[in-house]
Amino acid sequence: MADRVRGIRVTIPSDVSYLEPVRTLIQEIASLAGLHKDAVNEVELAVTEGCANVIRHCYCNSDRERIDLSFTFGDDVFEVRIDDYGKFVDPSRIKSRPLDDVRPGGLGVHLMQKVMDEVTYTKNRWGGTSLTMRKRLARPGEPRKDRSGR
Amino acid sequence: MTIQVKREKLSDATVVSIGGSVDIYSSPELRGELKVALDAKVKKLVIDLGGVAFVDSSGLATLIEALQKVQAYSGKLLLCNLSPKVLGVFQLANLDRIFQIRDTREGALEG
Repeated sequence: MADRVRGIRVTIPSDVSYLEPVRTLIQEIASLAGLHKDAVNEVELAVTEGCANVIRHCYCNSDRERIDLSFTFGDDVFEVRIDDYGKFVDPSRIKSRPLDDVRPGGLGVHLMQKVMDEVTYTKNRWGGTSLTMRKRLARPGEPRKDRSGR
Repeated sequence: MTIQVKREKLSDATVVSIGGSVDIYSSPELRGELKVALDAKVKKLVIDLGGVAFVDSSGLATLIEALQKVQAYSGKLLLCNLSPKVLGVFQLANLDRIFQIRDTREGALEG
């Protein structure tokens, strides 16, 4: 039998003051999807970083653009998609700084990759970038993945 | 407004207590509050994150910037009262090995 798909879509302005309400929405929707509390926090972090990158790099901090967010989940996976209407960003140019090069900035991509199971960038139909992040839903009793990498 | 900041000047340290979300939206305000202590070159700066519910890479960047400025004038910066959620973000970026982190404010003031 196919997975039952559920989800929600929202559009926000490219305004950093909207990220707090988005996090509140994530707390609700990810809990509804059955994510563990720690996993909900990780999705919250990944989406904040993804939207912040769009606002900062794609829209050059303009708060007059739009960002489409889609949250869908089935029995096995929770998926977030962030679409922008800017220029497509070559995924090979999206890099994190080495962690031992301690300086302000350059950690957003690292955090997204660390807390999500899959992070992919594709060109969307508006010519912008579609960032898709997936998190596998843990089965009851399954131990949580250690994200610290230690 | 997603952040609350309180600055206290003690005899041998300045304590900056933060509440709310330290993110791309609130980081400029936090940077401004920290600048006051950094410009005064306080010997010991304790940042109490006990009221912080969320931190992102912009928040981390603001704190790294403060740490590097304090180190530049041979001062000391300590963080305290991090919730498991906030500490987890520091650990993801290996920053728990860079910052001096104490469980309590008293511990930070001693160390």
